[in-house]
Amino acid sequence: MINVILTLLAPIIGGFVYGIERIVKARMQKRVGPPLLQPFYDFFKLMDKRPLMIHSLHALMGIMYFIAEWFALAVLLLGNDLLIAVFFHVIAVLALVIGASSVRSPYSVLGALRELMHMISYEPLMVLMVVALFLVVGSFDIRDVLAYEGYPILRLPLVFIAFLLTIPMMLQKSPFDIAEAHQEIIGGPEIEYSGPFYEALYTGKWIEYIYVFTFVFLFGGSHYWLGVLLVILAFLFINLLDNASARLDFRAMVKFAWGFLIPMAALNVILLALWQ
Amino acid sequence: MGFFSKFRKKSPWILHYNTGGCNGCDIEILSALAPRYDIERFGMLNRGNPKQADILLVTGPVTKNCKDVLRRLYLEMAEPKVVVAMGACAHGGGIFRDFYHVENGVNNIIPVDVWIPGCAPRVEALIDGMVEAIEIWQQKSKEKEYLRDHENIIKTLGVEDDD
Ligand code: SF4
Repeated sequence: MINVILTLLAPIIGGFVYGIERIVKARMQKRVGPPLLQPFYDFFKLMDKRPLMIHSLHALMGIMYFIAEWFALAVLLLGNDLLIAVFFHVIAVLALVIGASSVRSPYSVLGALRELMHMISYEPLMVLMVVALFLVVGSFDIRDVLAYEGYPILRLPLVFIAFLLTIPMMLQKSPFDIAEAHQEIIGGPEIEYSGPFYEALYTGKWIEYIYVFTFVFLFGGSHYWLGVLLVILAFLFINLLDNASARLDFRAMVKFAWGFLIPMAALNVILLALWQ
Repeated sequence: MGFFSKFRKKSPWILHYNTGGCNGCDIEILSALAPRYDIERFGMLNRGNPKQADILLVTGPVTKNCKDVLRRLYLEMAEPKVVVAMGACAHGGGIFRDFYHVENGVNNIIPVDVWIPGCAPRVEALIDGMVEAIEIWQQKSKEKEYLRDHENIIKTLGVEDDD
């Protein structure tokens, strides 16, 4: 029941998460920050703008991103294969990339290419993480993971650390906010969207928060308190990292992901497989 | 004036463009974003993207190179939108008035709604001007807005039947 509610209300809950994040970020910078409902005010304001679009495919792909993102979350939460949820997330990101590379704005195309670099960096890790969970739990089903008696985090510490460091890549946070790069390419893939169409991207991002933090929650197994604790710790860590670091080059990101994170996660998986 | 118009005043997004001023005004804008004044309290964000911005905050006397960029930024913004001219040189040139390379102020290129006086204006004046701009913004509708001498521009370009 709770997963159905969470799926249906995902944009609203994600909006609250984003609101909390903006406040936390502001407090970390010694500012007061916007009110908690600020993302929803932005949402309503964007509804009221004149709709402008470049061409219909571009706008459609923006809306596709939102729908596919929501669908990936639904697949994840409504008790299906974790691997399939990962692949539906790929479809969401691909919609974004296709939309962004279909316009002539150089920033948009550059953002799309960098978004692909993001995907190259984090998707293998997602798959590795799901495989690692499979080795521990013995099933790809989210219900079995959530019913697992032991502590997955204790058997997969390196995978967890690797995933923690990939979250900035997925949520576009410093030091890996390369595709979005607000000071440099001004939002990357989202630059050409405006008004109601930008809204789809803005809300899709909120859903992505829920999607990512659900994976963090899975590391608690059937101990939900541990899952919640991990989610809160991950949230604070991501924001701290976001505030404390500057943006890296995309080469540095890919190198870091393939040279450090993936070997680390793979080592954990190999040790686990040998042990059993 | 629909249901959503009430929420406009809660989230004005700013596009800041310097058209060749001395940078004094821009420093003031940056200090408005910093912890001391923190205009994100009012939901204001500096977006840097005309397609998603609501308030165009212009500083500087509009040099000849910047003229077309400024016009384009204005046209790319989605209505409803407001233009705020900040600083003496945006109001007719300031210390750059009648130089060979300037257009003497923002109003010669795009229609301005709010003027913020001073060289450089204090941050309090900037916030005051923003509040004023939001009030004007709330009265505006989603209709297309045109440049000052729209008919003349259309005629010189020869595109009367092009919507
Ligand atoms: S108004 Fe004064 S401080 Fe502002 S940009 Fe012009 S010269 Fe500089």
